[in-house]
Amino acid sequence: MIEMSGVGKSFGAHEVLKGVDLSVAGSEVVCIIGPSGSGKSTLLRCVNFLESYDVGDVRIEGKLIGYEDMADGTRRPMGARALRETRREIGMVFQHFNLWPHMTAVRNVAEPLRRVRGLPAAEAAERAMAMLARVGLSAKAHAYPSHLSGGQQQRVAIARALAMQPRLMLFDEPTSALDPELVGEVLEVMKSLAAEGMTMLIVTHEMGFAAHVADRIAFIDDGRIIDQGPPRHVLHHSKEPRVRQFLQTYHDRNAF
Amino acid sequence: MNPDVLWRYLPSLLSGFGVTVLCWSAGGALGVVLGFGLALLRRLDFPPLRWTLRAFVEVFRGTPFLMQLFLLYAGGPYIGLRLSATAAGILGLGLYSSAYFAEIFRGGFATVPHGQIEAAISVGMRPLDTLLRVELPAALIAAVPAIVNMLIVLSKETVVLSIITVPELMYQMQTMAAETFTAFDAIFAMAVFYWLLVEAVSRLGARAEARVTAYMASEGARA
Repeated sequence: MIEMSGVGKSFGAHEVLKGVDLSVAGSEVVCIIGPSGSGKSTLLRCVNFLESYDVGDVRIEGKLIGYEDMADGTRRPMGARALRETRREIGMVFQHFNLWPHMTAVRNVAEPLRRVRGLPAAEAAERAMAMLARVGLSAKAHAYPSHLSGGQQQRVAIARALAMQPRLMLFDEPTSALDPELVGEVLEVMKSLAAEGMTMLIVTHEMGFAAHVADRIAFIDDGRIIDQGPPRHVLHHSKEPRVRQFLQTYHDRNAF
Repeated sequence: MNPDVLWRYLPSLLSGFGVTVLCWSAGGALGVVLGFGLALLRRLDFPPLRWTLRAFVEVFRGTPFLMQLFLLYAGGPYIGLRLSATAAGILGLGLYSSAYFAEIFRGGFATVPHGQIEAAISVGMRPLDTLLRVELPAALIAAVPAIVNMLIVLSKETVVLSIITVPELMYQMQTMAAETFTAFDAIFAMAVFYWLLVEAVSRLGARAEARVTAYMASEGARA
């Protein structure tokens, strides 16, 4: 579903991504782990072109994202409309939820349906309610984000993305901004999504979640994927010293 | 204090108050609308336009209102702009305050976290919808206290209009003082009227603020 090859990206002189190859098949759940500053989030954001990449290809179902290949072999930026149409099919969940604070939970979910999918208000609201029910928040439908806990806000954000019926979902550290006791409710929703066969690419620090839910884990360091494979392989049998060192700090911290 | 004089001049003071309220509200409304337009135009990625708008703001914020008003009223006819004193006063207040309102709205837009805009982009929302549905409400809400404040400042700037003979409160007060030699009474009467106006504006402002920020008020639930 997603094929990335040779993806490179620099912020000025700082090269954040140094030729990344990564693919995600339909219904596959792939977790990206690695130290902070390694380029995980940037890579994820290249998939829906919130971040532009400089070289390489990002393709979704074969279609190049962010650029158009010209007949003479050059590239030009993708048209704004085409880019919007592509983004509709890709759900994204952010670390800081990014709900719209002046809208209730149900409006947050319904607004894209109305403005982007063009649904009538009543139908959008109905679908939004169904989505909120799915993430267990029917009772909070008419609450504003500031009246919801972080975990509830993130579940609303997931419902907002899901309501658009995306073909794949991107999660950018969805639990990193949450109090520890609120992480579980968000991971539960994500687990159920995975079980339903949603294609998911997840940047996360939740190793336990990655171990149990991911089909594959990719470890990224300094702009390169240095190891990837089934969770068992990456988390327990990686031959890469950098991976082992990184995971060791996790084990140390969680051993009490 | 001379109640008889006050009573005799009450009609003219009241009419002055009416003119003041008219100039203030029309000028303020013009300023808000113009300022909002300026702030929107400044978002366009077209450098010459941005510089022009910036220059406009700098000129109107950087020079005394009295001078602007003189230029408009006395200098206007030279460029074919022949306005009545009241019309010039309203236009002057509008132009002058638009520079401030433009900055207030710009500040409002700046308070909208980029993540909220990214969320709109990520669902494929068009830029216009993103502006209208996501940025604008949040920006306006953030700007309300500063808008109310500016309107209060503006209500007091209206006294300057007396210089170009707009028959507003200050003008009537001066007439009364000159005709009756009761400077203190006249100033006292004017102070009362202004206090009424400012009080009304700030109360309305407080209500508007409470209304638009209601969604942020905590109801015991935690953020």
